[in-house]
Amino acid sequence: MAKEWQTFVRKFDDIVEGEVELFIKDLSPGPRKYDTKHVRARVVKSKEAMPDGDVLWIRSESGLKASKSWYMKIIEELPEWVPGRSWENVLDVIGRSHRGER
Amino acid sequence: MAFKDHRDFFAVLEKEGELVKITQEVDWDLEVGAIGRRVYEMEGPCLLFEKIKDYPEGFRISNGTTGTWHRVALAMGLSKYASIREIYRVYEEKVERKIPPRIVKKEDAPCKEKSMTGDAVDLYTFPSPMIHEGDGGRYIGSWDLVVCKDPETGWTNWGMYRFMVHTKNWLTGWPQTTSQLAMIFKEKYLPKNQPMPIAIVLGTDPISHIMATAPLRPQENEVEYVGGIRGEPIELVPCESIDLLVPAHAEIVIEGELMPDKIAPDGPFGEYPGYRSGTMCEGVAVKVKAITYRNDPIVTMISLGVPPDDSSIAASLTAAVSMKKGLLRRGVPVTDVYVPPEGVTHLIIVGVKKGGIEVARKVLDFFTTRRVMTNKHIVVDEDVDVFNMSEVLHAFATKCHPGRGIAYEWYEGRSNSLTPCYSPEERKRLKGVSVVFDSTWPLEWPRDIIPIKASFKTIYSAEIQEKVMKNWEKYGLI
Repeated sequence: MAKEWQTFVRKFDDIVEGEVELFIKDLSPGPRKYDTKHVRARVVKSKEAMPDGDVLWIRSESGLKASKSWYMKIIEELPEWVPGRSWENVLDVIGRSHRGER
Repeated sequence: MAFKDHRDFFAVLEKEGELVKITQEVDWDLEVGAIGRRVYEMEGPCLLFEKIKDYPEGFRISNGTTGTWHRVALAMGLSKYASIREIYRVYEEKVERKIPPRIVKKEDAPCKEKSMTGDAVDLYTFPSPMIHEGDGGRYIGSWDLVVCKDPETGWTNWGMYRFMVHTKNWLTGWPQTTSQLAMIFKEKYLPKNQPMPIAIVLGTDPISHIMATAPLRPQENEVEYVGGIRGEPIELVPCESIDLLVPAHAEIVIEGELMPDKIAPDGPFGEYPGYRSGTMCEGVAVKVKAITYRNDPIVTMISLGVPPDDSSIAASLTAAVSMKKGLLRRGVPVTDVYVPPEGVTHLIIVGVKKGGIEVARKVLDFFTTRRVMTNKHIVVDEDVDVFNMSEVLHAFATKCHPGRGIAYEWYEGRSNSLTPCYSPEERKRLKGVSVVFDSTWPLEWPRDIIPIKASFKTIYSAEIQEKVMKNWEKYGLI
């Protein structure tokens, strides 16, 4: 059975299909539920595009859950953090990294 | 005698009918949060969840330790039926006195009964609750006490900030950028790219948690004020892995380093104004170095949200008294300040001996000079009981001139980014606006034109009042 994960974005439209860097929360039941992984992953919108992918739930900055899940495969696990100054916007830092600006 | 920890306070709460122990198994994942929230909204008892799903017997969660005025009164050694005015009065009197802490040996510190350090650190040992559906994670630090120190002056700051379990040995959190923790970190550690030692403490005596919410001035040590209010020193013990002192009788102490050059997502979280309003991914990351804890530890939770809850009530008390002292220092003729819990420190009531728009503007200046956590201020004459919101609303509705009686001021870089009515752009820039509603009579109005308030105590002579009161029962009234 596919694992389920959750990630947060500012707005639902912020997430795009392809290879992305994400912090994801493991939704497997048990005392370690919601443990975080920082990963590079391939994400897609429809199950048909990734039938053997894990389920990825998206929530917005207010915690609102998107009505439909996405699907993902982890390509690489990264350190628990990203380099950055305290109070710097983590999502901006990841965005800059994605654009090769880091 | 003062309470030394969470447990002796719980014994009193139980005796007073203010504690319910829940022995049925509950889920740390949303169920405890939902129960706690509903009980707050019913102004119900403190809760101690004794059997938590996925966790061994003995690992517990509490909610609402001082979540009502009754329990705040008990924490201060008063009758549970003490009025808010009386609680404020006693706090104001006791907070004038400072008693330094006493340092005890590790053997005498219950918080050292168990420990884990280095690679053995595992935050998932504890039943950190997933408090609200849609939060960014499990908040082990909600009703906590966070210790940090200025390395140059030795000033030790106690604050209350949210901290979320990120991984087994990393926490992320969101002390506001205008907080005193942020001030110390940004001035003394960040420029040197050094990590700052930090301790997140759960389950101390009740006054310590309440004082962690107090807006004291920089360089003031909260622990000395806690001693003053308790009438005896707080016992502190050195941490295992960092140079900080923490309450010896705490349930759980998480020792770590706030990293200057590493970040990870925090939030969102249902916060104290009563909303989850988009503050996320702009916080700090803490590498946990050690955890010490008592046998059968209690994770102290606040299922934060719409008031009243521990936060809105503690802040009502500690903020109001600090504000009163500050306004008096500024020469405002204050009689009383009330921070109604329903206003979640966004709405402040200020009673003054002499009002008028100039005094109201002075009040506004006081609240907007530094970091601004409040934004609506109602100034009333001294004949209005600031603790009686019916009287305050009546004065506001009738005496505040919609044109001349309102003044406001915009500012940037120091507002409260949790204020829900601010746009995302305003929150990002810490841009805000504060308003004062002058609900007093204009000073220039001569006495003979000021409307007479038509209440029993103000529109009848003393003789008539006395006669009516004397004959009250004879009228068949009780």
